[in-house]
Amino acid sequence: MSDVTWEIPTTYKPGMQVPARIYATKKLLDNMDSGVIEQVTNVACLPGIARYSYAMADAHWGYGFPIGGVAAFDTEKGVISPGGVGFDVNCGMRLIRTNLHYSEVKSRVKELVDLIFTLVPAGVGVKGTQGFAQSQMGDITSLGVKWCAEHDLAWEDDPEHVEEGGYIKGADISKVSRQAISRGVNQFGTLGSGNHYLEVQVVDPARYLDRNLAKEFGIVHDDQVMVMIHCGSRGFGHQVCTDYLRTFESGMRRFGIEVRDRDLACLPFSSKEGEDYYSAMVCAANFAFVNRQIIVNKVREAFSRVFHRDAESLDMHLIYDVCHNVAKVETHTYDGINSKVLVHRKGATRSFGPGHPDIPAPYRGVGQPVIIGGSMETGSYLLVGTQKAMEETFGSTAHGSGRTMSRTQAKREVRGAELQRKMLERGIYVKAATMDGLAEEAGMAYKDISEVVETMDRAGISKKVVALRPVGNIKG
Amino acid sequence: MPFRYLPDVALADIAFEAESDTVDGLFETCALAITDIMVDPKTLRNTTQREISFVSEDLDRLLYDFMTELIVMKDVDSLLFGKFETKVSPQGTSLKAVATGETIDRERHSLRNDVKAVTMHLFGIKNEGGTWKTTVVLDI
Repeated sequence: MSDVTWEIPTTYKPGMQVPARIYATKKLLDNMDSGVIEQVTNVACLPGIARYSYAMADAHWGYGFPIGGVAAFDTEKGVISPGGVGFDVNCGMRLIRTNLHYSEVKSRVKELVDLIFTLVPAGVGVKGTQGFAQSQMGDITSLGVKWCAEHDLAWEDDPEHVEEGGYIKGADISKVSRQAISRGVNQFGTLGSGNHYLEVQVVDPARYLDRNLAKEFGIVHDDQVMVMIHCGSRGFGHQVCTDYLRTFESGMRRFGIEVRDRDLACLPFSSKEGEDYYSAMVCAANFAFVNRQIIVNKVREAFSRVFHRDAESLDMHLIYDVCHNVAKVETHTYDGINSKVLVHRKGATRSFGPGHPDIPAPYRGVGQPVIIGGSMETGSYLLVGTQKAMEETFGSTAHGSGRTMSRTQAKREVRGAELQRKMLERGIYVKAATMDGLAEEAGMAYKDISEVVETMDRAGISKKVVALRPVGNIKG
Repeated sequence: MPFRYLPDVALADIAFEAESDTVDGLFETCALAITDIMVDPKTLRNTTQREISFVSEDLDRLLYDFMTELIVMKDVDSLLFGKFETKVSPQGTSLKAVATGETIDRERHSLRNDVKAVTMHLFGIKNEGGTWKTTVVLDI
């Protein structure tokens, strides 16, 4: 369709209801694993899918749906699929700003990262420092960051700077298993493991892409210090997905639904099982918003202790928080009609354009902030959503850089301690829960994030604002 | 080692294949593999025992539920296990197991990856020439 937009017609595979659309440069497309093509066209076969099955520039193989996949379904005739959300429900990104200049922070990065590392537990089986009772889980997972604000665990303006105002409506804790609640209740404020991280970053003056747009988000000078958080719903969300995959597999036999891949298990959104999963998944999504909120509170505390100023005077406001593993009911215009659709974004980010009522008022004129996390070596980006995304992709764009190398291979290529030393030489202080985990997340194991971001910008479904360079990293 | 990692199966996650002459042995091997992913088992002491028993609809589900239970105990009770004794019923629908291990100690244990979940990808138990085999892909 263009040098960054490719289509696979419905004739490619029997059963495709809609074409598949892939956003990628020729280079990214050539290097994309073959699983993406197979999976994006499998998703195109699911009942009730609208317009296209999409794969973003960072797409790679996932369970059932590709990571970097987007699919919208008719809310009456379409399906809902746990595989279209992922195990880590509402894995997402949060970006907070400071008014500090890197020159003020450079000599304190180690102290800062070491302190955050003690305040934000990371790694295998960790428990959070913020204790809640199981009896509070219903309220917490219904109201998300709004609940936090009501309990002095968030600043007044935090909720509006979170996707969906800090909580997705439709949660019902009675649809969540006892095991999921038990797994999650002690995990608020923990980073987790795998590719999750917390990073101290600076606005990169060499790649300061749109200063006027950046000002809208309070980014006003070169080398401004920021903090980015990447994590999700921890054991709570993982268990919700595990539980409902089981329910869906048996339910599909009853509904006579056949799919090309066991991981594509899906049921009508209007079925009892479909509604139950949605209610439980929303609980998990709201859990993740709260998890990231508790982490932000700890980050504010750490900055305040290190710089002997309160977090308000450091201007540590939340720029935004976006989900990148979720399914949500949204209203979109396609085929000339306003329709409610269930948009699955798995490893993909909402990218609503200027004027959309769901964007907080201060940003409504410019578009929704889109946070794209890169590998810990290569940096990250802040973008904004566009009108073209509303027209083409149900308001969606990419989420990160996407893996290209297995964890085992990455560990063969580099040792954790060696990587840590090399990163320090490059001005990035890393504190990792495990050295093996650090090696697995080396930059070489990921796609070139700049090419991913460039692709989405050229396709017009999100627009670059600033590049962010890591100076301190906590690896789960 | 009765299990073998499969680095090319799931780029972002961890897969292994396991085999044993017996169903009980296959369950124990899968459990040990999950432990090996989360911690260097040589750093684990066997000081705490837990009895695990449940019923599932078939042998595949029984193994899936057993592995999930180990992940749940890691999160809920902070327990990791280095030794397992399992007994699967002849029908393959019920399990009694004793897991021995200890509470996570961040100073003493050499911890590795946190396992989020067992996936259904490529999952299933086969008997080939008298050997019980399975492939397991874990979400990391």
